[in-house]
Amino acid sequence: MTVETIEQDFRDKVCQKLRLASEGVSRYRVFTPFMFEDGDHLSIVLRKENGGWVLSDEGHTYMHLTYDLDEKDLLRGTRQKIIGNALSLFSVQDREGELFIPIPDDQYGDALYSFIQALLKITDISYLSRERVRSTFMEDFRGFMEESVPKDRREFDWCDPKHDPQGKYPIDCRINGMARPLYVQALPSDERTRDAMITLLQHERWGLSFRSLAIFEDQEQINRKVLARFTDICEKQFSSLDANRERIKKYIEDFLIK
Amino acid sequence: MAVILTDQEIARLIEEAKPLPSDYQVKIQTRPKRGHKERELDLNGASGSDFRLVLRQSLFNPLDFSAILIYRPPNSNQLFRLRRYNGKSHEHTNSIEGKVFYDFHIHQATQRYQEIGAREDTFAEPTERFAEFQQALNCLFKDCNFQTPFDPQRKLFEEF
Repeated sequence: MTVETIEQDFRDKVCQKLRLASEGVSRYRVFTPFMFEDGDHLSIVLRKENGGWVLSDEGHTYMHLTYDLDEKDLLRGTRQKIIGNALSLFSVQDREGELFIPIPDDQYGDALYSFIQALLKITDISYLSRERVRSTFMEDFRGFMEESVPKDRREFDWCDPKHDPQGKYPIDCRINGMARPLYVQALPSDERTRDAMITLLQHERWGLSFRSLAIFEDQEQINRKVLARFTDICEKQFSSLDANRERIKKYIEDFLIK
Repeated sequence: MAVILTDQEIARLIEEAKPLPSDYQVKIQTRPKRGHKERELDLNGASGSDFRLVLRQSLFNPLDFSAILIYRPPNSNQLFRLRRYNGKSHEHTNSIEGKVFYDFHIHQATQRYQEIGAREDTFAEPTERFAEFQQALNCLFKDCNFQTPFDPQRKLFEEF
């Protein structure tokens, strides 16, 4: 194949996938090959407005993003910055949720390229959201401790003020009010298990007197070597929070009345 | 880490009975936001699964809408889209099957699209079962085993 043939093939393929279909008076659907991550193509309409032509998404792009995101999230933080940059870079306007670009001086092709690029940049926000899928284990743990331990008997993210003023060795929840406080660690991963082991060893080294309890998100997922070393240090462990709520509660209650 | 559901698990979730609250019609009245109307309703399935009904409709184009059934796996903030009933406002491509169409369509979660790293409900098929938002919602209710509270008056006039 010559370069000329390849170039012709590129042109043919790109041209074939761009087309217009009439949808009423002075209104056309613009079909392009460009898609959201779920296979839906961008929604673009060419229509006459105030004597000139505009390309509009008719509110579809933001609406599509709100399948997973709160609409307010589009107006703040990183997402708002990405959207703001895309709009200003490609001269696209946001009119109450409708994205559109006026077409000046019959520059239909240029306007379409700019519009598509802006929409694609904005749709990338959906990838940001997918990466944020996460466990709610730490929040669940905190909620569970708030339910199970009176406020004046617990302290989250506790650090020993004398030995650790910089807060390098925190305890997820310290239960106090007994001769020896109970350190409770929430462990969703290998890394957190290693950190918890180092923290407990450091507190031992400082000569602090305490009891220790670990609650795993899913102990079966923890590396065997990491778990073995941690088991040598920690007094009591529960393999998961959800399956052991009642047992853990009972275990803590026994401490609270001592 | 996002969960991956098998086709069997997806089918089981679709079939799980989803009782609607007695005031569900009030709770699914869409409200205007920027550029579209929207409403969401959280539901518990009869077997204890957490679901969310998500409704969207463009303020500019009534044929641009979405009625979505979402599953919310335990201990995660993930929103897993089981079914999505879309209006006719854009083309759709099924990349595995190589099929492109422009029509009203129904997205379905599949194992095969999850396995290639695509969004779970990337597969979609065109449909003639609905041509507007309320009809699409009725199809979603019927296909996904939603159960409306008994209302003898309503039964006289319509079925879903």
